[in-house]
This record gives sequence, C-alpha cells and structure tokens, in this order.
Amino acid sequence: MTDKAPKTLVKSGARLSGNGSLRSLFNFLRERRWLLVALLVGAILFFIPPPEGLSEEGKRALIMTLMAVILFVTEPVPLPSVALMIIVGQVLFLGRATADVAESLMSDSVLFIMGSLMLAVAIVKQKLDKRLAYLIVSMTGPKTLNIAVGIALISGLMASVIGEHTVAAMMLPVALTLITLAKEDGKSIRGVAAILLLSISYGCSIAGIGTPSGGARNVIMIGYWREFFYDPLSPESGRYLISYFRWVMYAYPIFLIQLPFLTFVLFRVFKPEKSDLSRAVVKLREQIAAEGPMRSRDWVAISVFVFTLIGWIGFSQNIGLGVVALTGAIAFLVMGLTRWEDMNTGVNWGVVLLYAAAISLGVEMKDSGAAEWVASSLLAFLSPIGVDSGPPLWLTIAGLTTLVTNTMSNGAAVAVLGPITLDMAASAGESPIRLGFITAISSSFAYFTVVATPACMIVYSSGYLKTRDFLRVGYRMAIISLFFLMIAAMFYWPLIGL
Amino acid sequence: MDTSTDRFKILLCVDGSEESKRGLRYAVRVGKGNDADITLLYVRPRDPSLGTGGIDLRLVRENVLDWGLELPGMRALEEARTQLIEMGFMDAHWRSKAVNREVSGDPVGDSMIVYTSETGAQIVLKNMVSPSVARGILDECDLNEYDLTILAMGGEKEGSERGRINWDVTRTVVLDHHGTVLLARGIEESHGHLICVTNDQKSIEAAAKDAVMASRCDCPVHLFSVSENEEGIADAEAAIVAAREAIEAAGVKIVDQAVEVGDPIDCIIARGQPYSVIVLADSHVKGFRRFFEVSVGYKVLQFAHNSVMIVR
Repeated sequence: MTDKAPKTLVKSGARLSGNGSLRSLFNFLRERRWLLVALLVGAILFFIPPPEGLSEEGKRALIMTLMAVILFVTEPVPLPSVALMIIVGQVLFLGRATADVAESLMSDSVLFIMGSLMLAVAIVKQKLDKRLAYLIVSMTGPKTLNIAVGIALISGLMASVIGEHTVAAMMLPVALTLITLAKEDGKSIRGVAAILLLSISYGCSIAGIGTPSGGARNVIMIGYWREFFYDPLSPESGRYLISYFRWVMYAYPIFLIQLPFLTFVLFRVFKPEKSDLSRAVVKLREQIAAEGPMRSRDWVAISVFVFTLIGWIGFSQNIGLGVVALTGAIAFLVMGLTRWEDMNTGVNWGVVLLYAAAISLGVEMKDSGAAEWVASSLLAFLSPIGVDSGPPLWLTIAGLTTLVTNTMSNGAAVAVLGPITLDMAASAGESPIRLGFITAISSSFAYFTVVATPACMIVYSSGYLKTRDFLRVGYRMAIISLFFLMIAAMFYWPLIGL
Repeated sequence: MDTSTDRFKILLCVDGSEESKRGLRYAVRVGKGNDADITLLYVRPRDPSLGTGGIDLRLVRENVLDWGLELPGMRALEEARTQLIEMGFMDAHWRSKAVNREVSGDPVGDSMIVYTSETGAQIVLKNMVSPSVARGILDECDLNEYDLTILAMGGEKEGSERGRINWDVTRTVVLDHHGTVLLARGIEESHGHLICVTNDQKSIEAAAKDAVMASRCDCPVHLFSVSENEEGIADAEAAIVAAREAIEAAGVKIVDQAVEVGDPIDCIIARGQPYSVIVLADSHVKGFRRFFEVSVGYKVLQFAHNSVMIVR
C-alpha cells in the first residue's frame, strides 16, 4: 500500500464520542426523544389523581407499565436498561422492598428463557445444519415448491420445540446456499429468495405456539396461570397447572393446519423465477457429501436434545420447564459439546434481564390491582358494542395482542398483556385458560415487521429481503392465523375439555 | 509511482441498487476527467442483538460464513468492481491489498481492499460495519477527506433492505457533511450542470469549483440565478456576472445563463429538471437555526427529481 493509502476503519460511533458541541447535544436529545416523552407522560400522570376504582399503588404500577411500553416500542435506550429502570422503579417509585423485587425477578419462566438460550447456542454450534439441508433436499427433490414446503415444515417442526432463533440460525445458511447456487447464471431470483427465506421465518413463527418450549411467551403464560390461579390447598385449582402435553393438545393442531396456507400465501405474493432448482440442489448435495457421515459427537448432541425434550414432556410439571432447559444446557457443557465461552458470547444476557423485569412488572400490575382496573375499564368500554364476552371478546383480545406483539417482543407483550387479559376473564366470566391461550398464541402473530420476531430479523439480515415483504405476507398470514385460532377456540378446545 | 496526496478523491456510497450503478458510471466520468481515486463504500448497519430474541446475531453470521457464504455488501462491492473493469477504469491485474479490522460484536468487522495501478491510481472497496449507514458514511468522510461524496439514492421503489441509502440517510449525511456531496438520483451523464448562484462570495467560489470539475469531464456548464421579486433582479444578475468572471478566469466556458423571478426552490427545481446535476452552494443555515429557517439547498435536495450537488 502506498503512503497515500486511505486510512481505514474508524472506530464506529466516534462522531458521537463528543466534543460537547451543540450538534452532539442535539443529536443526543433527538435520539432519546422517546425517553423524554416517556418521562413526560409519566410525570403528567403522576400528578393526576387516580380514577375511581384504581388505588394509588395501582396507578403507579400502571404509569410504570405505560412508560415501559413506550420504551419497549420506541427503543430510545438499550432495552436491558429499560429492564434495569423497571427494577429500580419498583423499589423507588412503588416502594417495594429490595429483597421482594429481587425475588420476583427469578421465576421458572426466567430460568427457562436462560436455559433455552444456552441450549440454542449449543445446538447451533453443533453444525448440524448441513445434515438438515441433506434431509430437506432428500425429502423434497429439486422443485422450488417442494423445497419451500420442506423448509417450512422442518423449520416449523423444530421451532415448535426449540426457540425459533435456533432454527432460523441453522436454516438461514441452507436457504442462502440454495439461493446463491441457483442464481449463478446471473439472473435475479428475488422471488425464489423471498419464498425460501420467508418459509423459514414464518414457518418458525407459526410453529412457536406448538409447545411450551416453542417460545418464552408460552412459558410466561404458564407461569401466570400458576402464579395467579393455582392454590396448593385447592385441588380444583390444579387445572391451572398446564402440562407440556396439555399445551400441545391445545396448540399444536393450530400450527399444523396453517403450514400449507403459508406456502400458498408465499407463492401468491412472490412469483418464483425458477420452478426447478436442480442445479443448485446437486451442488448443495456435493457440498454436504464432503461433510462425510454423521460423527459420534453429532449423535451425542442429538441424544442430549432428545433427552431434554423428554424431560420437558415428562417432568416439567413437577420440576418446571426452566430446570429441564438448564439441565440440557449443563449436559452440553459437561459432555464437552460446547464451551462456556461460546454460550457466554452467543447468549445476549440482556434479553434474560428484560424478560425477568417484564414478568416482574406484570406480577406487579396484578398485585396492585392495576390489571384488574384496566380489564374492567376495557370491558366497560366493550360492553355497549356487545363484545364483552364469548367469541367477540376472544377475537378482540386476539386482535389487540396481535397489534401489540407487532410493536414489541412477543414475550414482553404477553408479560404486559397477560395479567390484563386474565383479569378480563375473571371479570367477564370467561375461562382464564381460554383467554390465556388466546393471548399467548396470538402473541406469535408478529408477522408485519422485521423486528417483530427473532426469525424475521435473522432472515432479514441476509440482505435479500425488503421490509415491505414482511408486511405483504404478514397481513395475509395474520388473517389466516386469527381465523384458525378462533375456529380452535370455538369448536376444537371444547372438544378436548375446555 | 505517484504517491502524492493531491489526487482528486471520490467517495461513492453503494447499496447494490440500480441507482448505485448509475452513480458509479457518473463517478467514473468525473474520475476520468479529474484523474481521481475512487473509494466504493458499503456500510452494513450493525446487527441489533436483542431483535434476535436473545442469541447474538454474530452467531448467525458465523454460521453463514462457515458455509462459505458472503455477507451483504460484498456482493454490491464486487459488482461495482466488475462494472469498473468493464468500463475500463481499472483492470483486473491491478495490485491488491486487503486490510481487515475486528469490530467488537461483529464476526467480520470492517474490511477493505485497495487496488493500485502502476501509475498509483487507486480503487478502494470498503465494507464497513457501523451503528447506522449515515454514521458510517460520515465516519469515512471524516477520516479520508474526499473532494466529492456521491450518494446514490434509489428511492422507495428500490426497496428497504438493510444498508439501503434512503432519504433519511441522505438527509443526515448532507446536513452533517463537511465536504461536497452529490445526491445522485436517476443521474444521466451528458446533460450538464446547472449551477445556481447567489450574490455572495461563498456561492461564487462554489460555482467556480464545480465548473472546473464539470469541465474536466466534458459536462456543459449553465448558470442560473433566481430573484424572489423584481427588486432583486439586479442582485441576481450581479451574481451571474460575478460567477461568470470567476468561472471564465478558471478557463471554463459557460454554455448559457439565465435569471428568473419567483420562488427560488420552485424555479430551481423546474429549471434544473433537464440537467444532469443541479449545483448549489452550501446553505448558510447551520445548527439549531436549520430547524427554523428554510434552506433552499435542503429543499431542492429533497424535492428535485434529479441529482443535486451541495458544494462546500
């Protein structure tokens, strides 16, 4: 390189590192304008007397929740710092004892989130994605339609038992390889790319409802049922302890029935430039063949995961989903299948903190009576238009949850909305289990935006998709998902005992 | 080998869009006339870690790289390099040197390939990771003072993939940039520069600067000034005379000149439509004043249908 070689690689963010200029200050304030809005809203509400039926304590919990929602949606500051604000706020603003707040942060739901993230990293690190690719192309052959179905099916089946981020991380290179190999003749294959990539993300999204371990939102709702309705002294309240298998009975069919519709929608929205990917499939097979046969290490990893799954199905009722997930993660570490360093750098621990704080705030909403007040106010609003019970109420809750979950993480949506919808069930004479399922399941209908779900974000990172692709597919899928959820709530769930 | 640092330096920000390709053709035209070095920059926005539900997107990137797949950005840069070779601006045998720098939280970090000809001309491909596209471009401009920064903006129809240069990126870069910026929008090479002048020293200097650059790449130069009312016509004509003197003193021939009365923004946009580029001097409106005063340059930049250059 010559003397005049361009300088490179400036430390990103240096521009804000500050000379204290007016511009830096203005940029700083502009980037944090929603934090200022949240603080302003909180301050105004603080000085307004609580409405009838809402205690001062409840009002404060509601203010905190409202501010947290503004910050969750607009993200003017890193989300883990919102979690820290919630924790500090519970002590300073709500007057809770520090020890009580600390205790409320760690529940089985949080252990599950922690354990499942560690499992996700461990599984991705096993490099089993090439085996998956082989399975898919062996099953489907070279037709684009069949490959899309295969990717959606495999993504869905896996995402129904492990986190969707795990599946998306493993499936993304499979789809990208097919896309890269298929476009070697230089022609654009954006349609094929969109179909394959969105088969992964939406396959994962519709499947996450299938089992409790499919997503944090499911475990959070199971935790709420236990926390709010289960009384060890009342045998009858045992029905609120939802087992792994019982969840599967309620939710898995809703996932399965949506799968063919997903492929139908994708092929309606995008026109694949190639109906046959033979050349790409042949080259992919060659790449996979170079990997050689399955190694013993691969089998051990699969066995550990299968035992974890068995643990969830067989023992989570007694020891909790979180403990089983942590046991699986420990097994991966102890057997040397993954290193702690990989888990430590692969897991974003801020997410654990975020969910812990959101769940803690949800419990605060319930305990302070704020959730009940919001629930009764909503019902009073809905009553004159006849949607305060039965299917109209169910659809309203599902629609509301769908809207909320598209603006923040679906786990946070359930953490915030769960206490309210469960209180609505109590006020409206509805089954908390039915409304809980509706809330948890519809929280997975985060189809409209890139940031709504981890799987969408991961496939979007490939650079092949446009943000509007998600909206074009998303609203169609949301209608289909809401339709099948309502059919299940009205006709299927009563058949299996609800 | 020429190792001087006074070669004309062009930064072209690419995003893989059709507009990037048109922008590159224009950069080559300017570059050939000005004996320039060209840097092609793709800014990859840093991956949001929490959006992926708790596993770091770095893990996903590593997995993709393990398969031998390229990250977004490399495709756009490689296509641009191929285009440069096809246009004869560089050949495939230039010496190359790759530089890489780790960036915390990113599996690839920043990467740069410098291609150098026997005469010392350079083409640089940069794939930079940054919190945002705009910030990455501004960082690069701060670091390597370019004579001309070209932003190829595709518009909404080009889509909204990550790394796209959209209006938000353009606005931020233009407002915070310290040098000359060209917003390339459907840019055609042969229709000349419409240089808009006002009767102040900064505008006249900017006009002369652009006229020299335009003439070196055989782009015809046209002068234009607008008066908001009849009383201001003399001032506008004085601006034209002063600009003409400055430009002709630099040895550049002016094709034609015109003065109009009306709203400067509307007049410039309407008049500038058939030209390759509308050229304006940097606005005097800075800092907080920018939010209370309308800058003609900013409005023309926003509402013109063709390319606009802000000369500083």
